[in-house]
Amino acid sequence: MNSSFRAGAREGFKVFLPLSVGLIPWAVVTGMAMISTGFTPVQAMGMNVIVFAGTAQLGTLPLIAIGAPLWLIVVTALALNLRFIIFSAAIAQGFRGIGASMRWLSGHLLTDGVFACCLEKMMKVEDPKWRLGYYLAPSIWSWLLWQVFALIGVLAAGSIPRHWSLEFMASIALLVLLIPMAKQRPMLVAAAASGATAVMLRGMPLRLGLIVAIVVGIGAGFAAEHWHAKGKTA
Amino acid sequence: MSAELLLWLTFILAGLATTLPRASFIILGSRVRLPSVVQRALRYAPAAALAAIVVPDVLVVSGGFAPLNPKLAGVAAAIAAVLLSRNPWLPFIAGMAVLHGVRALAGG
Repeated sequence: MNSSFRAGAREGFKVFLPLSVGLIPWAVVTGMAMISTGFTPVQAMGMNVIVFAGTAQLGTLPLIAIGAPLWLIVVTALALNLRFIIFSAAIAQGFRGIGASMRWLSGHLLTDGVFACCLEKMMKVEDPKWRLGYYLAPSIWSWLLWQVFALIGVLAAGSIPRHWSLEFMASIALLVLLIPMAKQRPMLVAAAASGATAVMLRGMPLRLGLIVAIVVGIGAGFAAEHWHAKGKTA
Repeated sequence: MSAELLLWLTFILAGLATTLPRASFIILGSRVRLPSVVQRALRYAPAAALAAIVVPDVLVVSGGFAPLNPKLAGVAAAIAAVLLSRNPWLPFIAGMAVLHGVRALAGG
């Protein structure tokens, strides 16, 4: 490891450390939610390592719990992860001069927090080794926190009685993610349209209503953005 | 397929559905660019997907639309906690406390 990689890593870690505390309740709740879905600790930690994405894990758990078809679970995970395509496109320039295997590793470890924290410097700094260190230190730290605190959640959940309704923590966790998004008007419209559609179409077979609701939500958000822009220019 | 095998297959496919979007442009570099209409539309996908999962979770009780249930009170407390505090634990504590408080008061 060369010295500019290490300098970048130190800098990235320092910037990310205070932010990373926010991951802890997520990881604990996700661990508990996986157990309350009925997973064994090994299955729960398997999912945690393989999927490594709070939103996709929490979002697919209710579907796994009711035995929804595999394709629906995968499509839902994909919908929950579409934002990463945007993040990935936005930060791609930051990986100029970095080899393919490190790009795959970096891609696998891309999270909302790391993206938000690293984007600016990744664009500006020239030295690719410094940039890689700056990105990987917070990413690997996130990964470690995620696994350790999910494991704590997994182990704690087993000693908590069922009537405590710990699965409700997953609903709260999804809501906590949704609220900052919904502060923008078109995003709120997208969420409201999608939520209402999902409730109305709850009787559809194979929970197809979920997919229809997501599409309706995207359409409504897009339309709201359009009207919003028109209202400003008028 | 056994239930165990199906579950692990689910994890692997959900993992691919996570890693591939994350790695997409980091791997492709600046060779490929998404049309801006698609980029803008995709921005709404996460909010739409979250709402589509969480809203029925809260407002539907055993298949019927029943908005006035203890979960709604818990959700209201959690939302208040998110809006009023920066403490990352508080939404969970407030939401669970109100859920159980209301259930206890309702006698069930």
